Amino acid sequence: MVNATKGLFISCDIPMAQFIFKLNASLPDSQKFIICELDSTHLFVQPHASEMIRSAIAEFRDQNTYEKPP
Amino acid sequence: MGFHGEKNRPAKKHKSSKDHHYMVHDEDSYYPEELEDNNRDGEKEGKKTDFTNLELKPDHANRPLWACADGRIFLETFSSLYKQAYDFLIAIAEPVCRPESMHEYNLTPHSLYAAVSVGLDTETIITVLNKLSKTKLPKEMIDFIHASTANYGKVKLVLKKNRYFIESPFPEVLKTLLKDEVVGKARISSENANGTDGFTISKALGEMRSGHDELLTEAELATAAEEKETHSFEIDPSQVENVKQRCLPNALNYPMLEEYDFRNDTVNPDLDVELKPHARPRPYQEKSLTKMFGNGRARSGIIVLPCGAGKSLVGVSAACRIRKSCLCLATNAVSVDQWAFQFKLWSTIKDEQICRFTSDSKERFRGNAGVVVTTYNMVAFGGKRSEESEKIIEEIRNREWGLLLMDEVHVVPAHMFRKVISLTKSHCKLGLTATLVREDERITDLNFLIGPKLYEANWLDLVKGGFIANVQCAEVWCPMTKEFFAEYLKKDNAKRKQALYVMNPNKFRACEFLIRFHEQQRGDKIIVFADNLFALTEYAMKLRKPMIYGATSHVERTKILEAFKTSRDVNTIFLSKVGDNSIDIPEANVIIQISSHAGSRRQEAQRLGRILRAKGRLEDRMAGGKEEYNAFFYSLVSTDTQEMYYSTKRQQFLIDQGYSFKVITSLPPADSGPELSYYRLEDQLALLKKVLTAGDDLVGLEQLEEDADDIALVKGRRSMGSMSAMSGASGMVYMEYNTGQKKQGHGLMKGKPKDPSKRHHLFKRRYG
Amino acid sequence: MHSTGSPLGLEAVAGRNQLRRLQAHKHPPPPHSLKFHSDLQSPCADKMPQVKIIAKNFMDMVASLPACKLDKLCESPFICEAILRSLPPLAKKYVLQLLYIVVPIPAKSFEEWVLPDGLSKHRVAIDRLIQLRVYIETIDRKKETSYQLNPTFQINLQKQLIHGGVLPREPMPLNVRLPTLEELETYTHEQWECFLLQLISSTQAERLTNFSFAMMKVFQRGLLSQREKEAPRLTENGFQFLLMDTNAQLWYIIREYISNAEERGVDPVDLISFMLELSFHETGQAYNINTLTEVQIITVKDLANLGLVKLQQGRKDSWFIPTKLVTNLSVSLSDSTTRKQGFVVVETNFRMYAYSSSKLHCEILRLFSRVEYQLPNLIVGAITKESLYSAFENGITAEQIISFLQQNAHPRVAERMPSVPENVMDQIRLWEADLNRVEMTPAHLYEEFPSKDVFDSACDFARDYGGVLWEDSKTMRLVVKADIHNHIREYLRRQK
Repeated sequence: MVNATKGLFISCDIPMAQFIFKLNASLPDSQKFIICELDSTHLFVQPHASEMIRSAIAEFRDQNTYEKPP
Repeated sequence: MGFHGEKNRPAKKHKSSKDHHYMVHDEDSYYPEELEDNNRDGEKEGKKTDFTNLELKPDHANRPLWACADGRIFLETFSSLYKQAYDFLIAIAEPVCRPESMHEYNLTPHSLYAAVSVGLDTETIITVLNKLSKTKLPKEMIDFIHASTANYGKVKLVLKKNRYFIESPFPEVLKTLLKDEVVGKARISSENANGTDGFTISKALGEMRSGHDELLTEAELATAAEEKETHSFEIDPSQVENVKQRCLPNALNYPMLEEYDFRNDTVNPDLDVELKPHARPRPYQEKSLTKMFGNGRARSGIIVLPCGAGKSLVGVSAACRIRKSCLCLATNAVSVDQWAFQFKLWSTIKDEQICRFTSDSKERFRGNAGVVVTTYNMVAFGGKRSEESEKIIEEIRNREWGLLLMDEVHVVPAHMFRKVISLTKSHCKLGLTATLVREDERITDLNFLIGPKLYEANWLDLVKGGFIANVQCAEVWCPMTKEFFAEYLKKDNAKRKQALYVMNPNKFRACEFLIRFHEQQRGDKIIVFADNLFALTEYAMKLRKPMIYGATSHVERTKILEAFKTSRDVNTIFLSKVGDNSIDIPEANVIIQISSHAGSRRQEAQRLGRILRAKGRLEDRMAGGKEEYNAFFYSLVSTDTQEMYYSTKRQQFLIDQGYSFKVITSLPPADSGPELSYYRLEDQLALLKKVLTAGDDLVGLEQLEEDADDIALVKGRRSMGSMSAMSGASGMVYMEYNTGQKKQGHGLMKGKPKDPSKRHHLFKRRYG
Repeated sequence: MHSTGSPLGLEAVAGRNQLRRLQAHKHPPPPHSLKFHSDLQSPCADKMPQVKIIAKNFMDMVASLPACKLDKLCESPFICEAILRSLPPLAKKYVLQLLYIVVPIPAKSFEEWVLPDGLSKHRVAIDRLIQLRVYIETIDRKKETSYQLNPTFQINLQKQLIHGGVLPREPMPLNVRLPTLEELETYTHEQWECFLLQLISSTQAERLTNFSFAMMKVFQRGLLSQREKEAPRLTENGFQFLLMDTNAQLWYIIREYISNAEERGVDPVDLISFMLELSFHETGQAYNINTLTEVQIITVKDLANLGLVKLQQGRKDSWFIPTKLVTNLSVSLSDSTTRKQGFVVVETNFRMYAYSSSKLHCEILRLFSRVEYQLPNLIVGAITKESLYSAFENGITAEQIISFLQQNAHPRVAERMPSVPENVMDQIRLWEADLNRVEMTPAHLYEEFPSKDVFDSACDFARDYGGVLWEDSKTMRLVVKADIHNHIREYLRRQK
């Protein structure tokens, strides 16, 4: 019987996919959010994870960006 | 306070903005309190930087600048008065940024000190500024100028006939100084005192105006040129440094200008040298010399010229004007050779009048006066020397030098300066540099040790004039491969982060592509820089190109560089950090940077300087000519890594000079396949394995061998983002340099391995 | 230091991972096609064309009026001439060709007049003429199409052309000195700025114009949003509006004004007619208010608030003076960008210098940059990642910002190619792309299909709905958009 799971489909580039994998791996089992790694640029995750993923990415991005102070 | 320190982790928000005011000392801040607070808080920026109430003059369109109460000045470059305005502003203010259309400057106590040092007095500054300003000058600025210049330029230290005098047109100032214990004790009473306070009175030559004449009226000019009466008292030569110290802004606040009346120096023997007729200084070189010799005396200070713009000619010219013995200090042995060569090239100096003093050459000049070229290290070295060296050092110490010529002053750390300056006696000190930027130390220290900034040339103007190459700068974004990025993200690999983003296969391919392109399609000469030795070796060996790093022997280096210069087959060389200063690199016009020292703006500018030497005919180099862009600077950066952060930071200085970095995201072209290395996944994985299994000591920054000539090492003292003190690759191990300690190794200690755990604590922090 | 092209001729921006996002921005929709649907329904029997015309200019709006209203408009000879003027050249010719012909002319004959490569222009002309009901199309029993001039239009245009038009009013002879054309232009700019400032201000205290509170609310609809207990904030449309060209902004406002007319108890057709009539007046001349109807007086006062006309009062009389904006209406109210004086210089180091003292400009610049200094005739700011991100969060796109900077480039740098430094433009786009690197879509994952056939048919089914996000036939897994989940589920159930 066909199994249907509700979630969030993520489409991104390879580095971001890696980042999300690592984010997932760093969480304790109970909080892991990746349901399925589809391929190197697509993931299927639990619906509630979007905010966390976005803010983790934003923080990572800020760390790698130099802003000249005013 | 200097630049706000940045920790290892880049901070998210940068609240402190004090650095852009080049505050000398907090307690001497001349700005009203509220301004500072508001500058820190972005929210309130509207309030205190709202200068809309300034009154515009009716002919404001003809005037080139705006001046704000907080010291900020904006200058339109397309104005017909630009040239004079620039010369004036660079003399009185610190440049913040100088791109094509609009410059920004900051008026600071420090910059005004420099202004006064080159002979601009308070009233002139205010008058000319007002003339150039679109609006009426804000009262705060006028007050600020008065307050800042009140004490500057009032006191001069003059060395006349081997005696030191404190000179001033204001006897009250002298009296104030003498009240101080140290100064009072240093005073020597003079026999022919004719003033009431025992001061000697004499006439001093008025200032030679240059460049601001057309901006002043006749009356203003007349008052400026009149001869001034000066009062002076003598001090004990052994107390000079102490007296100078007491006069600094943090104490008596009458910082002394040092001028050398070389024409009237009958005690020190003359050096019979002149500039050769073919030595024709360019306009900006002339200007800088005028600032130095404006009133017939030689002023001490710093001249700032972009790399490749010809600072050697400026140094040699200065020496030829003073015509006394000159001690020339360079950063390393190669530089020493270069300076000696430049002296002989531009001046009539004879071979026996000039000598070099390095670990390899212990020459001496013949006659009473001459030029000695040596390194900072040779002079400052505190350990045991050979007998011969000892003798030479003695002579250096005992001679009264007319000119102390200091190259690359901003590479050398302050403590070394102090040492050199205190060990030698010189009448005039001239510092030459390309950048006034340091990541760690306060530039203000230097300025009080050597002297204020005399002149600073504008990079873009020099490019426009065809004096330096027009460089196309680009940042090539290389995405990390999946596997490399996965490893990069792992916490376990914290120490290897740099190795991972430098060895990113996509970066390798981009580098390979660029080399091929420039070699084959354009016949260019390419230098590839890599601070990371592991990377340097991997890249160079894989691409089968010659490489030079710390351990490369002198013979080998010469061979490679010669081939690079002359052979059609050697068009690309790989250089480690040695390439930043230590090597006389022949003309190249492409630079590819694959790894670099975290965030060092000066290093970025220095590297760029390697290709700034303008080549080809002037007409071709002008805008629209066929060689309009004939130099290329590529910085290869792995995206989504810390390299992006450091890269942007490094570029700031160049960006402030008007350069822009084009971002290239499509290198190598998408259709590149196996013709470039690491196309196949298995090759990439093999490389990854190599990086992961390489010893800890191999994957960090190159640590150059401590040898008497190498100043570059001292960069390790930087507290921010210090890389580990790493040893070399392929079994060549370098000796550790112990910063902060006087013990220095001799050349013999090549190859002795050091215990990594005894690393200096500063270096350990990098991998926290 | 503008790089006009490296030897590699490399385009900076199209990195493979960002390509998708960027392509979406390569052809951004024109910022001012905030869609306008004609609300001008009428009880007329005639059917409106079902095509939703995105009214890009005044004439489009006219075209979207119902047939009977259009006909009514055409009763004014001036309107007919205005319509004629607004037509593309070929269409103009077609009108004049048929000016005195009263029988339908077969479409085929038209086509014979045109050269083969002019056919597309021909179609455009005919379509326009039909939209505006200048041409009436008839199809006979033989299914042959013919065209004929709309009789009302025809008669009135003839009148106009032969007898010339007599406006219902003449310029007043006055002893008073009237504003010069330059002064009028200044007035227009200042007035428009006041209006915009009031439009976007969140406090009602700012009464910079005489528009009633209710009227401002009409304009603010869609541009400002008000949440409970909060001050009104600019919406995404509001931000985009501010970055639009002045003409486009004006057009938006007039459109709202006209479409709101019925609610105010005014016949939009009267408004349109009056405005078209105004376009035949003389710029800078004074026209007595007493020549206007009541509705027209109100209209003129409203237009004065927008800077389209200037109101003045003498001892005995009051008059209005049309400005260039109103006499040039079909140009003013279109999306054509008339070159107005630029004022912004962007430097390679991301600093921005705006030669302006306008508060409005300052507000606009604050949308995407950090304003650092305000001088009497200069605004200094910095374009930073932070300031751009807050712009992006407010719904402004990189292209809009870049377009604004280019269109408002100071003459000194406007000649440069490009007028905004390339590295700045690239970086703005790259930062935007960076925000969108990860796309998340609510979805359902289907796996464990009993057979390949079931899998394939499910994929096809989902594809028909345009709902396939990802599929892999090897592992037989399918991801579909959440909103078609139910359909798929039903479908799968039916398969058993």
